[in-house]
Amino acid sequence: MNVDVNAIFQIAGIGIIIAMIHTVLKQMGKEDMAHWVTLIGFVVVLFMVVRLLDRLFEQIKSIFLFQ
Amino acid sequence: MLKLAGALLLVGAGTMLGWMHAGRLADRPAQIRRLVRMLGQLETEIAYGYTPLPEALARIGRQPGDPLADLFHEAADRLAKEEAAVTETWRLALESVWGRTALKNGEKEIMLTLGNTLGASDREDQIRHLRLAAKQLETLEPEAAEEQRKYEKMWKSLGLLGGALVAVILY
Amino acid sequence: MDILQIVALGFMVTILSLVLKEQKPLFAFLLTTFAGLVIFLMLLDHIRFVVRTLENLADQTGVNTAYLKIILKIIGIAYIAELGAQTVRDAGQEAMAAKIELAGKMLIIVMAVPIIAVIVETVLNLLPA
Repeated sequence: MNVDVNAIFQIAGIGIIIAMIHTVLKQMGKEDMAHWVTLIGFVVVLFMVVRLLDRLFEQIKSIFLFQ
Repeated sequence: MLKLAGALLLVGAGTMLGWMHAGRLADRPAQIRRLVRMLGQLETEIAYGYTPLPEALARIGRQPGDPLADLFHEAADRLAKEEAAVTETWRLALESVWGRTALKNGEKEIMLTLGNTLGASDREDQIRHLRLAAKQLETLEPEAAEEQRKYEKMWKSLGLLGGALVAVILY
Repeated sequence: MDILQIVALGFMVTILSLVLKEQKPLFAFLLTTFAGLVIFLMLLDHIRFVVRTLENLADQTGVNTAYLKIILKIIGIAYIAELGAQTVRDAGQEAMAAKIELAGKMLIIVMAVPIIAVIVETVLNLLPA
């Protein structure tokens, strides 16, 4: 449980920092690289979410007796 | 506790990387100006001192530690040791020193072209080419200053943010 | 898992999500979804406890375990469909949410059909021929 709560703040931190990097890069004029960075960050976070979703569904399946 | 120290270290390292990159951008206009001055010194040596090329180069390259001075010093060294053509020696010296300067390809092209005429033609011609190279470098300087102004702060922030990002991911 | 901790977590996630929403609404949605899933995970242990208790009670009263299994599965489908529809609705995709709910309803009916069949048979058997 504690690991998950840390993960929540991790995602929030990553989101904020990526938003800032996006802004800085956009001001430098390298807007396409900004979009790449955002996309990579999104993929990383997506991986984390999907992993959690998998864990959740495993548990639900075991509780409600194997859908 | 240890994790926090590690994270701070990462952020610090990222910030330092950003600062160093910004420093290179800041160095470039100053180095261009100094290079122009040194070419002027070379011109003076050749025009009024009637000094042979290797000696002139060695004299200018005397200040230690400065990568630009090292260029002249290196060229003088190689000329004294190997009997290769001046153009080739100049090019080799350029290649070996360039990594330590903050200058970019534009300047390198100008210096390479200069190497083609150094020691290959008569005094008047060499002076003309030296002046030409100096003028070309001068035109590059405002562009370098502009680039510095635009990107210096950006690289500093980018370094900090990048370090913070890696720290958060490896949390 | 204390209700206070869950509520506190919910508050903080909401604030962070609002901050992110201005810059990158995509990340805000991911953050909220993730937090919602984490809270749900925290509750699962309690749900498991309730379900096991229901199973034991059903065993004791002698109800056919097959029926109990069907009921549990229906409850599970309802939970998951609700979770999915709410999350998707949160992202603004109302159409998608409606589809998920529709799918949930269909699947529940499909599961319930055997029980309905048994009820109808029983009633028919009770009626005089």
